[in-house]
Amino acid sequence: MTESKTTGPTATEAGEERDWAAAKAFFDRLKTNKPKPPKPQYAVTIAISSRSLFNMVAEGKIYKEDGVEKYVAYQQEHDNEPLMPGVAFPLVKALMNVNARLRRLYPPDSDELFDIVLMTNNHAQVGVRLINSINHYDLTIERFCMTGGESPIGYLKAYMTNLYLSTDGEQVIEAIEEGIAAATTFASGDVENQLSDTQLKVAFDGDAVLFSDESEIIVKQHGLDTFFEHEKEFENKPLAQGPLKCFLEALGMLQRKFYAKNERMTCPIRTYLVTSRSAASSGVRVLKTLRSWGLEIDEALFLAGAPKGPLLQKIQPHIFFDDQMFHIEGAKELGTIAAHVPYGIGQKYHKGIFIEQPAKDTT
Amino acid sequence: MDSMVRNPDVKQRDAAQAVVVAVSSDAIFDPEVEQVHGATEPLRKGDAFSFMKAIQVVNERLLTLNSDETLLFDVILLSNDSEEKHSRIIASAKHYGLDIGRFCFCNKEDSIESLQSNNVKLFLSTDTNDVCKALQKGVPAALLYRQTDPHHQTEDQLKVVFSGDVIGSSEEMLHGLREQGFTETQLQGFKTAKGSVKEFAVLMGEMRRRFGLEGSPLCTGLMTVWSSRDVCASALKTLRGWGLLVDEAFCLAGAPRSPILNLVRPHILCLDGLYHMEGFTAMS
Repeated sequence: MTESKTTGPTATEAGEERDWAAAKAFFDRLKTNKPKPPKPQYAVTIAISSRSLFNMVAEGKIYKEDGVEKYVAYQQEHDNEPLMPGVAFPLVKALMNVNARLRRLYPPDSDELFDIVLMTNNHAQVGVRLINSINHYDLTIERFCMTGGESPIGYLKAYMTNLYLSTDGEQVIEAIEEGIAAATTFASGDVENQLSDTQLKVAFDGDAVLFSDESEIIVKQHGLDTFFEHEKEFENKPLAQGPLKCFLEALGMLQRKFYAKNERMTCPIRTYLVTSRSAASSGVRVLKTLRSWGLEIDEALFLAGAPKGPLLQKIQPHIFFDDQMFHIEGAKELGTIAAHVPYGIGQKYHKGIFIEQPAKDTT
Repeated sequence: MDSMVRNPDVKQRDAAQAVVVAVSSDAIFDPEVEQVHGATEPLRKGDAFSFMKAIQVVNERLLTLNSDETLLFDVILLSNDSEEKHSRIIASAKHYGLDIGRFCFCNKEDSIESLQSNNVKLFLSTDTNDVCKALQKGVPAALLYRQTDPHHQTEDQLKVVFSGDVIGSSEEMLHGLREQGFTETQLQGFKTAKGSVKEFAVLMGEMRRRFGLEGSPLCTGLMTVWSSRDVCASALKTLRGWGLLVDEAFCLAGAPRSPILNLVRPHILCLDGLYHMEGFTAMS
């Protein structure tokens, strides 16, 4: 859904090139050890909210019970106390590792890297604690927007965001409606998997995540048999894109940079498709669609309706995207970090039963 | 030499206590209007219009909270226009009901002196070079940010954003710039600008504190354009030390600034000398 980042030349672009050259000169002059952040239009930009990055459950309680003034005051008083890592923390470390590998393989000026942006509607005074926490864990997050209560959605576009993660379901819905790949994260479950620190693993559901919800509509409204027949008949017709297709594409772009340097076997990015479709019948259409898009996925796992939790527990992804809360909950129960993509017909159903309201995300 | 005309339609503020702001008349009224001798209809609205309206909202809210409030905005319209335009300017201000306390008519060369002698806390212009020149002479100045789409600028909340690259840079870092080719003049310019910005920031901090975190008619922000996050954090703390607790903060770290600025939509952008890189070479 998100269009390619490169756009036609505009009047401001010449000015921005000058800005960029000046920024580069300024950074170079500073002689810091920190690498310069990449240009947004070439980078794979991942915008993360403060509550996804850090565990702010206790602080959130203060906000809900005592109001914004007490909340901000509390954060200010605890400025120098680093926050505990949140659900997206392992993902960020994995992204940083990929960048480190890319920087070793490619010249320092290269902009085709992950760029992590902190995107929060927190008040800027809370920002001091957030930055201190980022410093404490030595995370490579150089860019941030603290909008003091305003919606951050416009800024997502301004930063050419490839993926937005937030604990606020409504903001995620808004982002998806604006064509930005987004998912809602939840506080970790009680069990937590051991994750790889050398390879970023991203798992995707198929329908209504990588692909549109067109086939899911058939299942919900006409049942499985009709669905199987339909998928067989239209095997060769590519499915329409889903909200996360472009993010998979961006990951593929970075993977190819490793392949180009003969590092396919040790590529620090691995992608998985975890779908309820079955390999024998309805799965074929999915593989053909990916091929028609020129996209590769490293492992395609067809569950034919079996629960996703146990399989995900084996894969141990840094993040798993699914449109159905039922699968998210199943994944979480067995220690997988799962993020909800609030898109498509799946939002009108909960556990297979049609409901009037979309299933509310409980944090 | 200047001539100061009080606006009879506007209640005069206590200039010693107020935040005296001088705005160029070219910003308030569109200067591209064809000079027709003897024309009397009101001048067309300029870029600073929504800013003027927003200032009015802030003043009204301050007075609602405290009818004896003296920390109010006190606007001086600064005009370098020919004498025949003077009455038209005054009449236009009346026509639009603008909260302008005084009109200051003077020659362009005398502008800086007028600003200095009238205890102006901030000079506002849409021209970055004018702002930088004023800052260099020790006159606190800021940019009236020109929106690409003027209809999108809010009139019910005044937004003031501070540029933080110099505020947040340590003495050591700025000192180090000398070795990187920045001249003494430029470095002195930073120091002067930082001092001017401080004064205005203190006033804004005080004014901002009159209101709660939510629903305030005055919104303050910080933006660093070139620097890393540590400089931005340092700027946040410095501003806090001056009594200004900004609502919003943006660290661009070199990302293109126009898309972000067009979303932030400040009325006033307080430059600290480093913001405008092009102006750099011009200043040395």
